[in-house]
Amino acid sequence: MTLALAQLVLSGILIGGVYALIAVGLTLIFGVMKIVNFAHGEFLMAAMYATYWLQALLGWDPYVSVALVLPASFLFGLAVERLVIRPSIGKPHLVVVFATMGLSVLMQNLALFLWRGDYRPVRGALGETTWVLGPLRMNGALVVACAVSVGVTLLVLAWLRYTDFGKGLRATVQDRDVAMLMGIDVARVFSVTFAVGTALVGLAGALITPAYPTYPTVGLSFVLVAYVIVVLGGLGSIMGALLGGICIGVVESLTGYLIATSLNQLFSFLVFLAVLVFRPAGLLGQRPATLAGAS
Amino acid sequence: MDAAAPRAGGPAGRTRGRLAWLGLVAVAVLLPLLVRNKFVHDVMILTLLWAGIAGAWNIAGGYAGQISLGHAAFFGLGAYTSSLLYVDLGLTPWAGMLAGALLAAVFAALLSAICLRLRGPFFILATLAFAEVARIVALNWRSLTRGSEGLEIMFQDSPAHFMFKDKLPYTYLALLFAAGILALCRALEGSRLGYWLRATREEEDAAEAMGIDTFRVKVAGMILSAALTALGGSFFAQYFLFLEPGHVFSFEISVQLPLICVVGGVGTALGPFLGALLIVPASELLRAWLGGAASGLYLSLYALLLITVVLFMPEGLVGRFAPRRRPAT
Repeated sequence: MTLALAQLVLSGILIGGVYALIAVGLTLIFGVMKIVNFAHGEFLMAAMYATYWLQALLGWDPYVSVALVLPASFLFGLAVERLVIRPSIGKPHLVVVFATMGLSVLMQNLALFLWRGDYRPVRGALGETTWVLGPLRMNGALVVACAVSVGVTLLVLAWLRYTDFGKGLRATVQDRDVAMLMGIDVARVFSVTFAVGTALVGLAGALITPAYPTYPTVGLSFVLVAYVIVVLGGLGSIMGALLGGICIGVVESLTGYLIATSLNQLFSFLVFLAVLVFRPAGLLGQRPATLAGAS
Repeated sequence: MDAAAPRAGGPAGRTRGRLAWLGLVAVAVLLPLLVRNKFVHDVMILTLLWAGIAGAWNIAGGYAGQISLGHAAFFGLGAYTSSLLYVDLGLTPWAGMLAGALLAAVFAALLSAICLRLRGPFFILATLAFAEVARIVALNWRSLTRGSEGLEIMFQDSPAHFMFKDKLPYTYLALLFAAGILALCRALEGSRLGYWLRATREEEDAAEAMGIDTFRVKVAGMILSAALTALGGSFFAQYFLFLEPGHVFSFEISVQLPLICVVGGVGTALGPFLGALLIVPASELLRAWLGGAASGLYLSLYALLLITVVLFMPEGLVGRFAPRRRPAT
C-alpha cells in the first residue's frame, strides 16, 4: 500500500512537472500581464504538431527539434501579440477573451481540417525508457520534461529578478503609466513577455510529445489545468507555478487512483474555486487575485 | 452611460419607431405561416431561442458587467430539471421548467456568493470553473442523469406535456420567449434595478459610495439571468427531446451566449437579438453547406469572423455600448 502510494505520488510529481512547464508560460501571460489567453493550449498543440512533422518529414528527434520550435514559438508569440492582443488592450475584458478564444477555435479547427483528428505519436530518443528508482518506476520522457521544468522556472525567475528587462516588466505590471513615464517601452515589454510566454509553452509542447500523442484538441486538456495552477501558485509567482503544478499533479494522480479517474478534473476545478474564494493570493503570491483583477 | 430611452426625437420619430416595431412583429408572426419549410422553421426556432437566452445572459453579463462564461450550468440545470421531473415523475414540463428556473436561481445565488470579491478575468474564470464542475457532476451522477448515455424524452403528441408534432407551435413559443425577454430587458432599462445594474458595472466602488448595495444588485441580476437561461434550457430539451451532459452543460453553450451579445452589442436590449439574427442562421447555413464536406473548415471561418468582429467592432451591431471608462488591462 505504501509502495503504491509512493508510486502514485512520484507519478503525480512528474506529471505535475509537465503541467508546471506549461503553466510557467501562462504565469507570464496571465499571472503577470493579466491577459486571459484562451489560445494558450493551442500554442502547445501547434508546437506539438511542429515537433511531429519535423520527425515525420525530416526524422528529427523531438529533443533536437526544440532548437527550432522554441525560437519559432517566440516569433509566433510576437505575431499573435501584434495582431490579436495589442488591439484589444484597454478595451473591455470580453474583447481579449473572445479574440483569444476565436484564435483557439481557429487553430484547433485548422489543425483538424489540415491533419484530421488522428492521434499522432512521436518517438523520442528515450523511447519508452523507464527509469527505476528503488522499487519505483519513472517514465523517462516525463523525467526530462520535469527536470527542464525546474530549470526553466529558475531561469525565468532570474530573468525577472536580475535583468533590466525583468525590472521593467515588474514596473509595468505595478503601474503602466508610471513605468511609461520612467522611460520604459511598455509596448515592447508586453510583446516580448507575451512572446517569451509563448516560447515557453512551445518548449513544453516539444518536450511532451514523446509522452503524449498529438491531436487537434490536445491543448484543451492542459490549458484549464494550467489556469488552475497559475491561480493556485499565486498570480505572477513563477515559483508558485512550479509548486502549484506539482501539487495539482499529485492531487490528480491520487484522486484518479483512490476515487475515480473521471473525477480528477472535478477536483482541480474545486481547488481552483476554493483558492479564489479562500486564499486569493495563492500559495506564494503577494497580491490577492481579487485586487489584481480590480485594475 | 448608454441612454435608457434610446429613441429620441419628436412624436413623429416615436410614431415611426412604433410602426417599425409593429412591422417587425407582423413579419415575425406571419413568416412561419407563410414559409412552411422545415429548415426555415428550425432556423427560426433556434435563432429566437438563442436570442432569448443571450438576452438573459445580457442581464448579468451586459447590464451588470458580470461577464459569465458559465451559463451552460444554468442552461443544463433547466434542461435536466424539467426533463427528469417529466421522465421520472411524470410532471408536465410546463411546471417542470419553473422548477428548473427556481433551481438555477438558487445556484446563481450560490455562484454570486462564491464570486463576491472577484473582478475582471477572475470572475470570468470562476464562472467557467463553476460550469465545468456542473458538467462533470452531471456526467458522473449516472443514477440521476444517466450520464453520457443521455436522457431521452419519449415523444407523444401532447401539448399538455410541451410536445408538438408540428414545428409551428415551437416557432411561436420561441417567439413568445424571445419577445418576453426583449420586453423585460426594455422594462429593466428604465427601472431602478436597471440603473443600479449599470451603475455597478461602470464603477462598483462609486456605486457603493452612492448607497447602492452592489452585492445585492449583482446577485439579483445573476438570479434573473440564470432563471431565464434555465427556462431556455427546458425549451431546448422539449424541442430536441434528447439531453446529454456533454452537450447541454458544454463550454460551447457558455461561449455562444456572450458571443451573440458581443456581435450584437453588449448591454443593450436589442443587441442579443441582432447578434442571434446574424450568428445563428449564418452558423446553421455554414454548417449545412460546409459541415459534411470538410470538418474544421466551417468552424475556422466562424472563428475568423469572431476575431474580426471582436477586434474591429467591439461595440457590436448596436454600436452603443461605450467601453468602461477605466481601461481594463
